[in-house]
Amino acid sequence: MLTLLRDLRRLRRELALPGPDRGRSLAVRHVDAGSCNGCEHELTLLSSPYYDLQRFGLGVVASPRHADLLLVTGPVTTRMHEPLLAAYAAMPEPRLVAALGDCALGCGILGADEEIVGPVESVLRVDVRIAGCPPAPAAIAEALLSLVDERAAAPAARR
Amino acid sequence: MTTHSPSGYRRELVRALAHGFAPAGLHATEDGGVVRAVLVSPDGDVRIESVAARDGAVPTIVDRAPAMAWDEREAFDQYGVRFSGHEPLRALARHDGELSRWTVPVRGDGPYQVAVGPIHAGVIESGHFRFHVVGDRILHVDVRLFYKHRGLERAAAGRSLRDALAVVSRSCAACAVANGVAYAQACEEALGDAATQELARARTILLELERGWNHLNDIAAVCAGVGLAAGFTRFAGLCERMRRLNAALTGHRFLFGTVEVGRSVLELDAATANAARAELREVGAEARSAWRELQFNASFQDRLPDIGVVDAAAVSRLGTVGPAARAAGVRADLRSASPGLAYEGFEPVVPERAEGDVQARLEQRGLELRQTLEVLDGLLGRALRPARAEPAGNGGPIGVGRVESPRGATLCVVERSDERLDRVRLRTGSYANWPSVAHAAIDNLLPDFPLINKSFELCYACADR
Repeated sequence: MLTLLRDLRRLRRELALPGPDRGRSLAVRHVDAGSCNGCEHELTLLSSPYYDLQRFGLGVVASPRHADLLLVTGPVTTRMHEPLLAAYAAMPEPRLVAALGDCALGCGILGADEEIVGPVESVLRVDVRIAGCPPAPAAIAEALLSLVDERAAAPAARR
Repeated sequence: MTTHSPSGYRRELVRALAHGFAPAGLHATEDGGVVRAVLVSPDGDVRIESVAARDGAVPTIVDRAPAMAWDEREAFDQYGVRFSGHEPLRALARHDGELSRWTVPVRGDGPYQVAVGPIHAGVIESGHFRFHVVGDRILHVDVRLFYKHRGLERAAAGRSLRDALAVVSRSCAACAVANGVAYAQACEEALGDAATQELARARTILLELERGWNHLNDIAAVCAGVGLAAGFTRFAGLCERMRRLNAALTGHRFLFGTVEVGRSVLELDAATANAARAELREVGAEARSAWRELQFNASFQDRLPDIGVVDAAAVSRLGTVGPAARAAGVRADLRSASPGLAYEGFEPVVPERAEGDVQARLEQRGLELRQTLEVLDGLLGRALRPARAEPAGNGGPIGVGRVESPRGATLCVVERSDERLDRVRLRTGSYANWPSVAHAAIDNLLPDFPLINKSFELCYACADR
């Protein structure tokens, strides 16, 4: 255990990740609305020592009740349409929606028309678009941190 | 290949099963008029038995081959074929029915239901589990997937065999190479082509790069399952290194676009191949050191034994595949007999304590990770050139491809008219193993289910397509 922690400390030192210079946090609720699992695997690695997004106050939360941002992947399948709307409805305001990956943006290889409702923005108002198939962890981190910065700079603009 | 009468179909299947053939998959044609069952002998001989539906029905085989249960349920839900004798034929892909249409009734003194999902508390794919419990003890779980069903098999049909590959391999990012190679091999068999040595080497490198990051991910997932953050972070870091290596070698972190029908365009000069080999040796050394730490972490190890057992008898009954089957001591691995791939001399490994529990499945990942790195070390010793498949026979209207994915044997059946794809069925290792997850949960405590689930780490996307 000690060796594990020592190795982690060494890795952190070598990577020389910058410390947080932001005074705000962002609670993220993730909803997979029919992805190929690529976006999920990249999101998971945001917790790896190479990105460690939690040091900026960004965390994936276990309920929409305490989420600021709904992070949606996939082309929105017919079967995930309702659960997605239910998760959004359960969020407190102000609430934001991010479409993560090309499928969520309606431009990937999606599937058969009768099984797909449409891109996230056909269902919910989208505030953040993160393109890529799938977007790499660095791109996801950049998009989410810009959002934190924007919100810090212009609190009045929040919905 | 002949199309049997209903009674002839059942007779043939029963006879094949008695001769040691194992069920490998079953699907209906697009119009629901014909059902095809695929069986495989222990030597890897593939048999396809077809039957024309009479009044929309064919005989079931689920009483003799329980592993076909999901296949029959899916064929009914998606293509309207009824299976006489499969009673009740519970809904699998259709979500519009009452609870009683898709759950097993559980009665008695004090059982109640716990419904989890489709959205989960974390970064997890969508799927629903309905637990029937007494107190904390699980009596039964109904797994309801297909929330992520995108109709990819139907979207692929009608395209050219080559173009359809991108659609088929989009079923799942974690198994994109395995699914792509299974599809490419099925097409090549139908076209009468065979892989050259260099094509076999390119595909094997890609398959093992994919398995490498998956096994690191799966070990990290078990650490996360018991809340060992230090272990998760360590293995997630190594997983990131392998994805970066994938991007450096192929331009894509998940190796998308690297598999094609009839050819490989991947080119690695000797220096790049060597650098990859050096990086993989370092990943291997780091993984060994982190693994040792897991071995000596008593509070971690205490959580693993005797949880979520799938023993060898259950493996053969349920048709469990991959690391989950090998963790129960079943030495089955398609890599030991893959003519179109470069696995010469490959021997499946099983853990010393092959109890089929969470501990054995974790142990299995560790053993296989080492094997994967050894295979890659051998294959990356020299430059890799673009390669093509070569004509080797006459082919036919149907082709079958079988590949050992990180989660087990994946079957792809392709039906074609000339260059056009009529029907594709992709039956992945995850699809094969979901019923085993439900079986493993029985008699365990509800709070242990996430750990049991993580020890299989199946893809929902692969099953739902």
